[in-house]
Amino acid sequence: MKTVVRALLFGLACLATTAASAAPGDDGAVPAISADCGGATAGETPPALPHLTAALTERRRIVVLAIGNSMVGGGDARRGDYYGLVEQVLEKTFKGLDVVMVQRGVSGELARDAADRIRLEVARHEPDVVFWQVGTADALAGIDPAEVVATVRDTARWLADHKVDVVLIGLHYSPTLRADPKFMAMRDALDAAARADGLLRIRRWEVGETLDRLRRDRFTPDDAVAANAEADVCMAQHLARSLATALFAKRRPQERRSP
Amino acid sequence: MSRPPNAVDFWRGFALVEIFVDHIPGNFWGLFTQRNFGHSDAAELFVFLAGWSLRFMVGARDDPRPAHHLMVRLYLRAGKLYAAQMVIVMIAIAMLATASRVFDNPLYLEWYNAAAVFNAPVETHVGLVVLTHQLGYFDILPLYVLLLFLAPLIAVLHRHAPALLLPISAAVWLFALVTQTTFSTWPTEGEWYFDPLCWQFIYVLGFTMGRKDGPATAVRRRLPVIRWIALPIVVAAAVAWRMGWSIDPTVAPSPHLLFVDDKAFLTPTRLVHFLLTAALFGPLFAPIDRWVPKVSAALALVGRNSLLVFCIGSVLDLACQILQFAFQGGFVWDTTMVVAGLSTMYAAARIAEWWERVR
Repeated sequence: MKTVVRALLFGLACLATTAASAAPGDDGAVPAISADCGGATAGETPPALPHLTAALTERRRIVVLAIGNSMVGGGDARRGDYYGLVEQVLEKTFKGLDVVMVQRGVSGELARDAADRIRLEVARHEPDVVFWQVGTADALAGIDPAEVVATVRDTARWLADHKVDVVLIGLHYSPTLRADPKFMAMRDALDAAARADGLLRIRRWEVGETLDRLRRDRFTPDDAVAANAEADVCMAQHLARSLATALFAKRRPQERRSP
Repeated sequence: MSRPPNAVDFWRGFALVEIFVDHIPGNFWGLFTQRNFGHSDAAELFVFLAGWSLRFMVGARDDPRPAHHLMVRLYLRAGKLYAAQMVIVMIAIAMLATASRVFDNPLYLEWYNAAAVFNAPVETHVGLVVLTHQLGYFDILPLYVLLLFLAPLIAVLHRHAPALLLPISAAVWLFALVTQTTFSTWPTEGEWYFDPLCWQFIYVLGFTMGRKDGPATAVRRRLPVIRWIALPIVVAAAVAWRMGWSIDPTVAPSPHLLFVDDKAFLTPTRLVHFLLTAALFGPLFAPIDRWVPKVSAALALVGRNSLLVFCIGSVLDLACQILQFAFQGGFVWDTTMVVAGLSTMYAAARIAEWWERVR
C-alpha cells in the first residue's frame, strides 16, 4: 500500500513539475514538439537570454539576425523557411509580440567568414539575438574544430559585450557521418564549448537523428530532400520551444513580483 | 597570333589564380593569397581590370566605334557571360546532387547556397535565371553581366560628358553606402554578395585609369609620389590585418559603411587599400616579364582567356571541395589539388589559343 501511495505521490509531483515547466505566463503555452518530430523531451533548462528577454519586456518587439544558412522566404518550413516558422510560433506564443527576422545566411559559409559578417550585420540591424547555424560547413571543409570553437567563443563574447544574445544551431545530421571522426569531433567540440560558456545550442544533429529513427520506424522511403525539409520543420519547433522556455524561465520571477 | 604578354593580361591571370586558390576554403595555399595581407582581395583586381579592358572595346575618344556597333558588341559579350554563368551553375548543381548520391550524404545538397535549389526548385530556378539566386562562389559573374549591361551607359557618358563619368559613379557608390541600398536575393531572403551599385565604381575607376587622358594622366604623372605614400599604408594595413585589428562596426560613426570593412558594399577601406596596392605592385609586371618571362607568359595566357579559365576554375573549385571532404585532405592533398587545378586551367587556355590559331 505504501508503495502505491508513494507511486501516486511521485506521479502527482511529476505532473505538477511538467505543468509548471510549461506554464504559459500571460502569453500562451510553450510551443510543443509534434509527434512527427519525436514529441517533447524532458530536456535541461536552456540558458537564459537576458537581452532578448529585456527586449521582449520593454518593447514587445524583437529583432532576430539569422546567420549561417540561407532560407527560402514565405514562412513555409516545408520549403526550407524554418526561421519564418519560428517567427510565426513566437508571435503566436507571445501575444502582441512583433518579431523582425533579418535573414542574412549563406549556406556553406565558414564560421570565420560568418563571424566577420555578424559584426557588421549587428551594426546594421541592431538585433536582440543572433541565430547562428555553425559547424557543418567548417566540418565539410576540414577546418580544425579548435579554430571554429575559438571563433564561436570570441564572437559570442563580442555579442554579449554588445548586449546581443546568441543561439547556436548545431551541425546537420547525416547517417553516413556518424562514423566520420572529424565531423563528430566538430560536433562534440562545439557542444562542449556551448556548455562551458552557457550558450543556448539547438542540437540539430540529435533532432535529425530522432527524425531518422522515426522515419525508419514508419518505413518512409529514403528521400534526401524531403528528409532535409522535414528536419527543418522539426528544427523550427525545437528552436521556438527552446526560445520560449528560455524566455519564460527568465520572466517567471518578475511575474511573481507583480501585484 | 595572340598578343604578347602585357600588364593587364598578366594581372588578370594572377587574379584568376588567386580566386581559384581562395575558393577552396581550408586549403593550405589559401593562407598566402592577397586577402591574408590586407582588406582587398582578388575580386577587386578582377573587376578593376574588367573596367580597364572596357576601354579597348569602347575605343579611343578621337576614334570611337559607331554607337550601334558598340552596343551590339557589349550586349553580345554580356550574353556570353550570362550563358557561361548558367552553364557553370547547372554543372555545379549536378555535381552537388551527384556527390550527395555517391557519398550518400544529403548535406552536399545544402552546400554552396544550393539548399533552395532542392528545397524550392520552382521559385529557385526562376531566381537562378534572373540572377536573384546565386550559388556561393558563383556570384561574381552575375555582377560582371550587370556591369556589361551598364557599359553602354558608361561609354555614352565617356563619349559625350567624360568629366561627369567618375563623379556620377562615385555619387552612386556613396549613395549606396550611406543608405545601405543593395539588390535583394530571391527566393532566399538576403542580399547580393557583391552590391552592383557599389562595385560599379571600381569598374568605372578601372575604365577611367585605363584611358590615356583625363584623371588617368594626372595619376600616372604622380605615381612615384603615390607609391611612396602607399608603401607605409599597405605595410601597416598588412600588420593590422594579421593582428586582427579592426574597427568595431557598432562604434564606427554613422553611416557605418563609410568607416568599416565590408566586401559586399566595397567600403572605402577596401577600395583605398586596393588602389594603393595596385599602385605599389602594378609596376612589378615589367621586371617579372624581363627576369622570369615564362611566368609572365603563363599568367598572361591565362588572363587572355579569362572567361574560359574562370568557368573551368569555378567548377574545379567545387570538385576540389567535394573531394577534399570525401577523402579528408591535408597538406599533400591541398598541394595536389592546387597544382592539378592550375595546370588544368593553363592547359585549357593553351588549347583555346591553339584552336584560335588553327581553325
